[in-house]
Amino acid sequence: MDPVEVRSLSKTFTTKEGPLFRKTQKSVTALDDVNFSVKKGEIFGLLGPNGAGKTTTIKAICTLIHPTSGEVYVNGHNVVKDAQRARQDLGVMLTGDRTLYWKLSGRENLEYFAALYHMGGATAKQRIEQLLKLVGLDERQNTLVENYSTGMRIRLSFAKAILHEAPVILLDEPTMSLDPQSARLVREIIRDLRKEGCSILLTTHYMEEADQLSDRVAIIDHGKIIAMAPPRELKETVLKSEIIEIEAQNINPQVVEKLRGIPTITEVVSTIDDAAAQKGVIKVHASGGKQVIPEMLGVLVKGDVEISNVKVATPTLEDVFISLTGRALRD
Amino acid sequence: MTRLSDTFDPLRAIFRKQVRHLIRYPGEMVFLFIIPYFLTGLLVAMGVSVGGQDAFGNFAVQTGSSLNPVVFLMIGSGVWMISWIVLEGIGTSLRDEQMKGTLEQNFLAPINRFLLLVGQALSQIVITSLLFGGVIVASVLLLEPRGALGLILAFGILMIGLIPLFGLGFVFAALVIRFKEPYAFTQAANVLFAVLTGTFYNVTLLPYWAQYVSTAIPQTIVIQNMRLAVESVQGLIGAYGTIFILLAMALIYPFLGYSMFKQFERRAKVTGDLSKF
Repeated sequence: MDPVEVRSLSKTFTTKEGPLFRKTQKSVTALDDVNFSVKKGEIFGLLGPNGAGKTTTIKAICTLIHPTSGEVYVNGHNVVKDAQRARQDLGVMLTGDRTLYWKLSGRENLEYFAALYHMGGATAKQRIEQLLKLVGLDERQNTLVENYSTGMRIRLSFAKAILHEAPVILLDEPTMSLDPQSARLVREIIRDLRKEGCSILLTTHYMEEADQLSDRVAIIDHGKIIAMAPPRELKETVLKSEIIEIEAQNINPQVVEKLRGIPTITEVVSTIDDAAAQKGVIKVHASGGKQVIPEMLGVLVKGDVEISNVKVATPTLEDVFISLTGRALRD
Repeated sequence: MTRLSDTFDPLRAIFRKQVRHLIRYPGEMVFLFIIPYFLTGLLVAMGVSVGGQDAFGNFAVQTGSSLNPVVFLMIGSGVWMISWIVLEGIGTSLRDEQMKGTLEQNFLAPINRFLLLVGQALSQIVITSLLFGGVIVASVLLLEPRGALGLILAFGILMIGLIPLFGLGFVFAALVIRFKEPYAFTQAANVLFAVLTGTFYNVTLLPYWAQYVSTAIPQTIVIQNMRLAVESVQGLIGAYGTIFILLAMALIYPFLGYSMFKQFERRAKVTGDLSKF
């Protein structure tokens, strides 16, 4: 059995909506028949847009929510029936910086969680020293967390997740809100953990991160896994298309629709970065090669789109997502 | 690692963390320090203003107690405040953790929920018990020195009484997990308990049906027997049957309360309520 096994996992939440005394029940399927496993010494990336089911998957694995159906095993322990043992084998980092005690110092936070994970005094002390150095907080270890920057809090939260040297580590968006230098540090530590034999489940909506770190990636959308393979294999599935990126201003929906009308274009996705200027990127997947570019540019110019750059791009995991769903990850 | 350290190390860590929070949010500590004096002063002033010159004499006739009224009220209000902290402490600590975002982090740890619940309230309970205990001791030694020996028994009764109170605390913690309103339930219950448990008078003044209900509340037995112990050790020996009832409550209530909490926790895991606030 692999360190993490997720079998036919489904989760439906029931919410009540409407005014008092006239509330109606509404069911939302967060996860629908999710299956995957994480092997020993593997980094497994779970990639998907916000609300796709990444965090729900993590919470089901780490025993915080009960599945509606299906089973999850951590190191052979069923997370519902044998939750305590599963928890002992799990190191978890949940999203955000509010997972720590702000009125305790960085060191006090780690000491507290070390005790909850049954780490003996001397072992805990040594490990805490090591981790504070590793995440670059040794000089601020006695400062209250409320006086830390967001990046420092996230690094401490990451240190907390790997504190008791669990064989399985779940990281929910571990580099979100981190500056590039800190993000790089966290990625390096994650790679080191893999070398030490840890099984790591990583959720992220940063394509490059999933691409660089993961041995395998599962793409999740609307609670379903729609693709699962090593990043290189996933990208090969879109190699038969040419990917053209157009940076432009005054991008409008009518033009995007017209582009979709060109027969050799299979997907068009526009991402707006500056709403006032309608400035952003149009990504086009074309089956007929680069020959489509003149026709495409003609449509854009006629539609008053101001083009600043056109390039033929190499496929990324985002392109895989686009080809599978017809949407960008940020949509 | 022994099983004992598996229990006590996390409990000590939770206790230490809570004490650090209490110290670093000093307003709460100040409140805990001043409240016993304000509460007792308020009650004595009210009693004197209603009863006039013969207030203390009338008090003895009405309650059937030979205790100094200040000591009588001190014991009642002391137990009431301690029970308030136990009932509210567990639930509000959980709610506080939920609002801070740290509740899930605690629930991720491989420790018994029972430890977590008890540990959360323990620091407040220890501090409050010491404060109120100190106030009761001082008032007995000053105003009822004959009851000094009985004080030891009185605190023994209080310690037994804390166990079923934890059971009730678990019930309120379960309600907090479900409804996320820590104060609505505990404040209503605490006011009701003050009325029913003879906090400021003798329960014999209550209607018969209310006296019957009050016997199911551990504070009633604790308050009555603490007063008896201070008044006369012989009187307490005569009421040994009630101590057995309290011991039975100490066995049953925590079990029932914790079962209810586990049931509500399971429900929260199904609905995802742990991370909602």
